[in-house]
Amino acid sequence: MIIDEFIAKIEGHGALDIDWANKKARLRILEGERLFEGILVNRPAEEAPWITSRICGVCPIAHNLASVKAAEAALGIVPNKTTILLRKLMMASQIIQSHVLHAFFLASPDYLGIDSGIELAKKNPEIFKTAINLKGIGDEISLAVAGRSVLPTTTTIGGFHKIPAKKTLTELSGKLEKNLNYAIAAAKIFAKLNYPQYNIELEFISQTDKKNYPGYESEIIISSQKDDSAIEDYKNDIQEEVRLDSTAKFGRYHEKAIMVGALARLATHHDYLDPVCRKYLRATNFNNPFHNNLAQAIEILHFYKKAQEIVGILLREKLDPTVAVPSANPPLKGIGAVEAPRGGLYHEIHLNDKGKITFINIITPTVQNLPSMEKSAQAILDQSPKISLAEARKLIEMLIRAYDPCITCAVH
Amino acid sequence: MINDKKLKLGLFDFTDCEGCQVELVGLKEKLLALSEKVEIVNWRLGQAKAQWEQFDIALIEGAPLTPGEIDLLKIIREKSRLLVGLGTCATLGGIPAILDKEERQQWYNKIYGPEYEGRGVDALPLSAYVKIDFLIHGCPISGNEAARIFSDLINGKKLNYKDYSVCFECKLANLPCRLLEKKPCLGPIAQGACGAICLKGGSACYGCFGIKEGANVGALLTILNKFASEEEIENYFSMFHNKSKLYDHR
Repeated sequence: MIIDEFIAKIEGHGALDIDWANKKARLRILEGERLFEGILVNRPAEEAPWITSRICGVCPIAHNLASVKAAEAALGIVPNKTTILLRKLMMASQIIQSHVLHAFFLASPDYLGIDSGIELAKKNPEIFKTAINLKGIGDEISLAVAGRSVLPTTTTIGGFHKIPAKKTLTELSGKLEKNLNYAIAAAKIFAKLNYPQYNIELEFISQTDKKNYPGYESEIIISSQKDDSAIEDYKNDIQEEVRLDSTAKFGRYHEKAIMVGALARLATHHDYLDPVCRKYLRATNFNNPFHNNLAQAIEILHFYKKAQEIVGILLREKLDPTVAVPSANPPLKGIGAVEAPRGGLYHEIHLNDKGKITFINIITPTVQNLPSMEKSAQAILDQSPKISLAEARKLIEMLIRAYDPCITCAVH
Repeated sequence: MINDKKLKLGLFDFTDCEGCQVELVGLKEKLLALSEKVEIVNWRLGQAKAQWEQFDIALIEGAPLTPGEIDLLKIIREKSRLLVGLGTCATLGGIPAILDKEERQQWYNKIYGPEYEGRGVDALPLSAYVKIDFLIHGCPISGNEAARIFSDLINGKKLNYKDYSVCFECKLANLPCRLLEKKPCLGPIAQGACGAICLKGGSACYGCFGIKEGANVGALLTILNKFASEEEIENYFSMFHNKSKLYDHR
């Protein structure tokens, strides 16, 4: 039956083809095309963040804010400080929610020898408790700031329809303080898991402002091989290849297969991590793509601390609920770039003078990771001459899960 | 439906954002309690184990966009005692249904190039292809409402919707009326149970829980026509109702 070819426990529908005679691995992406870049044309700019957040139920905040930033750039809007802080808090919750869902519920069973996240409840109750509590905290931050745990309701171009009350933030602060031990436990749990040991040369790419650990603020794209580029050149520097048997495109950076996401951010920005995360870095092998799941756990802790810090600032400062307005003679073209849970995300929006969308282009992190997944899969086949086809399939499916692909995003 | 054997549940996803499954996972302990009462025999997103015999309950998230998904939907229907749609992509066609079938070709050309042959046929609700036993609407679903319906489902009760519109929930929450502020809103005709969550956040209501049975769509249109342009009204209805039959009634 057709559904059995889909790789289990990843977001969206993809299949792995192994040509065993020639020892070659290839991915086929089979998710239906929703054509978001068509859906949005002729609709008002204000609908862009609402609609693009529905590209992905796992990282809706990342899409929502990428569209908001693109529209603000197009309209010459400069949001206020409260807005920026609240968006950074949303991004922190986004990373926590997405990484917990993936690393604990979808990936960790691979390393624990069980089949599903639900089995954790009985077989690894401590891990399950950690996951449930962290998912709860991520959801609560989202609910407080974005209005809902999945798919934001409060955000708009220029600011927020509604900002959280100080009382809500005080409660959030208390909950964050009380549950910090779970965020530390996440890093500890993943530092001790048994990962397949492979050494594969990986080139990492991350957006950055060169001042903070990557997230909401992005100014340039940096590479672990010192091959930087400007966000404005994203479309030239990240080339997308169309394959006729795949509904997702395959993206390469300067023609090379690169890795984006948690392991890439950690490799390029470990100096910016919260100090409490540093000791878990020692366990990280940046030549082992399976360690992306460890990097996700370290990021859960980092963004948890970040969330605490931002809530602290919001509590100390006077909050400004003003929604910023468009400037005179705006450029009507803008790019919104954020580091989504799975890596660099780009939305480019063009508007007409009535505020209607005339063009939108979206490049997602998973599109950029697909060639790297194939490259690493190939390395596993090359480095493991003695394994059987069944073992190879199992191992490569684990590898693909370790990359945390979001195929719904990749196709969009 | 009371017997000793656990009910066999299949949870399937077609083309969509998978956010409704994320809402289910967000139920945490509640989900765990419900999952104790059923045996999840097929759930691609949650487990590798997959059985293909009979299902007592099949939950389907997403719109059947590709020929493979349409075929699979028919197979699942044959194997299932109860087939339930989960989320607006499954129940109304969702956001992808904003595009009409005829429009898709030009976007395949623009987005993928002329060589590419699109897989997606058209974004239609499950009900366009097979008989559905119940629809759990929402973009995304409300976790609590879904938990209520699951509980009734598992216990063999008759399934029903809440007897109120989003407008009623908005009033309960003491929110300012968008229509009085001359902003379009589908709250008065939209099926309730979401808790008016979008309106609480300051967003509009596009009626993602479906049009409430017996709703006076014409009366709302009369009000909307007083301050909104035809195009603006069209926009609001097209968000989730481009392919829903009730849309033709206005």
